[in-house]
Amino acid sequence: MWIAVGIGIVVLLVVILIYNGLIARKNQVANVFGAIDALLKKRYDLIPQLVATVKAYMQHERSLLTEITEARAKAVSGRLSDDQQVELDNVVSKTLGSIMVAVENYPDLKANQNFMHLQRTMNEIEEQISAARRAYNAAVEAFNNAVEMFPTNIVASMMGYKTKSFFEIAAEQRENVNADKLLKS
Amino acid sequence: MKTLEDLKNFYETALMPDLMVLEQQRRSVVRKVAWVIIATASIAGVAFFVAMQSLREAGPVVIFPIIAGLLIGTGVCYLLTRGYVADFKALVIERIVRFIDENLSYEPKRCIDKSTFMLSKIFTTKPNRYKGDDFVSGKVGATQIQFSELNAVYESGSGKNHQRYTVFRGIFFVGDFNKHFTGQTIVLPDTAEKLFGRLGQKLQSLNIFRGNLVKLEDPEFESHFVVYGTNQIEARYILSTSLMARITEFKKKTGKKIHLSFIGSMVFVAVSYTRSLFEPRLFKTLLDFEPVRRYFEDLQLAVGIVDDLNLNTRIWSKE
Repeated sequence: MWIAVGIGIVVLLVVILIYNGLIARKNQVANVFGAIDALLKKRYDLIPQLVATVKAYMQHERSLLTEITEARAKAVSGRLSDDQQVELDNVVSKTLGSIMVAVENYPDLKANQNFMHLQRTMNEIEEQISAARRAYNAAVEAFNNAVEMFPTNIVASMMGYKTKSFFEIAAEQRENVNADKLLKS
Repeated sequence: MKTLEDLKNFYETALMPDLMVLEQQRRSVVRKVAWVIIATASIAGVAFFVAMQSLREAGPVVIFPIIAGLLIGTGVCYLLTRGYVADFKALVIERIVRFIDENLSYEPKRCIDKSTFMLSKIFTTKPNRYKGDDFVSGKVGATQIQFSELNAVYESGSGKNHQRYTVFRGIFFVGDFNKHFTGQTIVLPDTAEKLFGRLGQKLQSLNIFRGNLVKLEDPEFESHFVVYGTNQIEARYILSTSLMARITEFKKKTGKKIHLSFIGSMVFVAVSYTRSLFEPRLFKTLLDFEPVRRYFEDLQLAVGIVDDLNLNTRIWSKE
């Protein structure tokens, strides 16, 4: 009888550990997701500065600048669903990329102190966003492993946890940037 | 970046004449040392013989002068060679350092501070015997660097319980990193994962002394190293995919155990060596390119960390 009680206690402890572990992993995913959000916001906040700095120089890229200003306005309005947010973010990334390539045509702009400082800040934010996305994928992987592997999957299905999806870059961003085309546009 | 060809030219044109003079000094030192050894050995031998004859009466008392004599002999040898080593370092090592990069300075007797060594948090054991030499510092491109040879040992107990544990022996490098960051990230050689696979990784994550395990995506990097960090995102910000590839390349290039840490916007690199570096060989001729090539390669390895880790790329907010 005591043996049964002993086994029962051990099983209970194990279940508690697994339960807590699952919660911790779920929260880690949410935590990193929040961090990505914060970094994206930082990037959005830089856009008006960027547009103001390059506007005077880049006479031929009016359409790009308008595009990015509009995209930013939509993003910070807060009236988008998660999927729409992700898609908008992809558009912003692409447009920013195009602008940065187009800057190559304007040596005066490239040498401008304000612009150089801005460029450094933007590089840093892009790098941090990339790091945050990698961290997000790592957190999702850890969570998915716990949800799918034995024996933690038993507890996970009892809690109703489903696997989450990784962050993937949009298909069109995966195509190599055609610098030639961008420089001529 | 200087090549071996450049070194050969430097060796033949600039170094050789001075080496020939130093070689005379070396020969004279070797002669003197040989005499001292012969003299000490013979005196000790005679004294021992006398002691054996009068063992019953004098016995232990005669042993003390013999030991004193041996100690004096050793001391004299040390004094004789010390001057030679100093001249050698000034003439050969310093010149090679300047040859690699004129902006670098060399201090033969100085080494990285113990506080800096502990600040890196690479080694958790605090050594109680800490020494080093061959300190190089300066700016390579946009990066401020310092490195030296170190020998850090932890000794405990006495007599039968005496234990000697080498905390670190090799080249310890400190450099200005090219990104700003606030937390701590430590990259250590990965033994557990190699031996135990996934279970090893689980054990690593339970290591409470080291902080949180950071699992990275580069499989080759992960097979060589284990990473601990205070912040998951910052660890990945520092260890970009390109830096991970560079660190792996560096490790393969040196073939040595490498430890790194990133703290206070600086990078610390500890390269473990089993041999002594930048010391002259007393009993071999100086007029040989081989040892010069070795000194050059060891120094180049340390200075080259700046290029190997791409520390001069300053496209982020840190200049």
